Amino acid sequence: MSLVVLGISDLQVSKNPDDILITYSLGSCIGIAAYDPETKVGGMIHYMLPLSKISPDKAAKKPGMFADTGVPILLKKLFAMGASKDRLVLKVAGGSHLMDQNKVFNIGERNYLVLRKILWKNNLLIKSEDVGGNLSRTLRMELDSGLTTVKSSQGVREL
Amino acid sequence: MNMKEQIVSKVSSFPTLPAMAGKLLNLLNDPDVTGSDIGKVVQYDPALTANLMKAANSAYLGVATQVNSINEAIFRLGSKWIFQIAVSSLIYSNLRRPVSGYDLSGEDLWRHSIAVGLMADILNRELKIKDVGLAFTGGLLHDMGKIIMGEFIDDKFEEIENTVHDQKLSFEQAEEKILGVDHPEIGALIAENWKFPAPLVDCIRYHHDPEAAPEIHQSIDLVHIADALCLMQGYGVGRDGINYKPNSNSVDRLKLTTTIIEKATSQLNTSLEEVDNLIKESPAPEAVGRFS
Repeated sequence: MSLVVLGISDLQVSKNPDDILITYSLGSCIGIAAYDPETKVGGMIHYMLPLSKISPDKAAKKPGMFADTGVPILLKKLFAMGASKDRLVLKVAGGSHLMDQNKVFNIGERNYLVLRKILWKNNLLIKSEDVGGNLSRTLRMELDSGLTTVKSSQGVREL
Repeated sequence: MNMKEQIVSKVSSFPTLPAMAGKLLNLLNDPDVTGSDIGKVVQYDPALTANLMKAANSAYLGVATQVNSINEAIFRLGSKWIFQIAVSSLIYSNLRRPVSGYDLSGEDLWRHSIAVGLMADILNRELKIKDVGLAFTGGLLHDMGKIIMGEFIDDKFEEIENTVHDQKLSFEQAEEKILGVDHPEIGALIAENWKFPAPLVDCIRYHHDPEAAPEIHQSIDLVHIADALCLMQGYGVGRDGINYKPNSNSVDRLKLTTTIIEKATSQLNTSLEEVDNLIKESPAPEAVGRFS
């Protein structure tokens, strides 16, 4: 088993059954684990902001920073590797917020809403999710089975 | 000794800073400090000079011609950058250590500290506030107190966490309730022990509660907001998670908007990588191994 660690703004795809994709410290950021159980192609993204219009030059260099640039690239890469849209299982974690939050800190919620919109436009559904609250989460997916877990101060649970 | 006294007694035995860092931080007292003032301090440390030259020649700045002297480096980088790189290099080994109670690896505390320093400075620039390095330095050093608090938190973590949930307190409020003192106060005591300038001590002491400061200056608000944003975005988050409450008055005083926050967020992601690599690759020998 080899651990492929995604940092903030990274995206990765793989069809190596030995790989485990993992990303740590999802706060307001969102992590998506996508998997096709038939071809065993999987991918993950850890994006931090909803829309790239805030900084198009950063989006050009690091598309995984934003939902609207990163998620379509993740999907395209998965399809190019043999994943099928009909079989793709999407699991989502993150989108937390601070306590007593002021509206200007709403990044987590906005990250989630924009994702729903992108997926809706692409006729894709989220299979399961662990989003919101004040938690910092770790998202982990095993490529051989698609087993996806979320770890936080509340423990580990399967998504 | 009660718990608070036990914790405070550790402050005097906390490792001292490299002498050079003290000299640099004293420059924060002077609002008109120039690049050449900073150059006069750093030029006697060869490793630090090498770091600054390397920074001036880094691809990040996108300039083709090489700089060959510290004066050229200062001219190219500007006083703010020089100051930031110098202070970060000197303080790196003090902050790069694991803190057990908060479950922070050595990498986590460093990453969080440098992220908050850079975020405070990026917000500073976005908001066009004049400042040579106070917000950055305050951000870099705001969580030093956690290094001492860590071992005491370890024994009481469950009690603190239950207090956070049951009484809807933020983490540092629960620290204070259970241990009699919180990490901002311990950090401020270290800073006073190191004879830091008063505004810098304030940035550390009030970083979770700017309203409590005898005089609210913008650097405290900047460090407070930068800390909240970096925790929220997952830069070096420990067991205390993101159980912190950002102060709405700080948001109002700084006139923060979602756009400014999102711009700063994307900027931080790239700046952090650059600065982190620069400092990790060639930390100044004065800082390395001295206290390890």
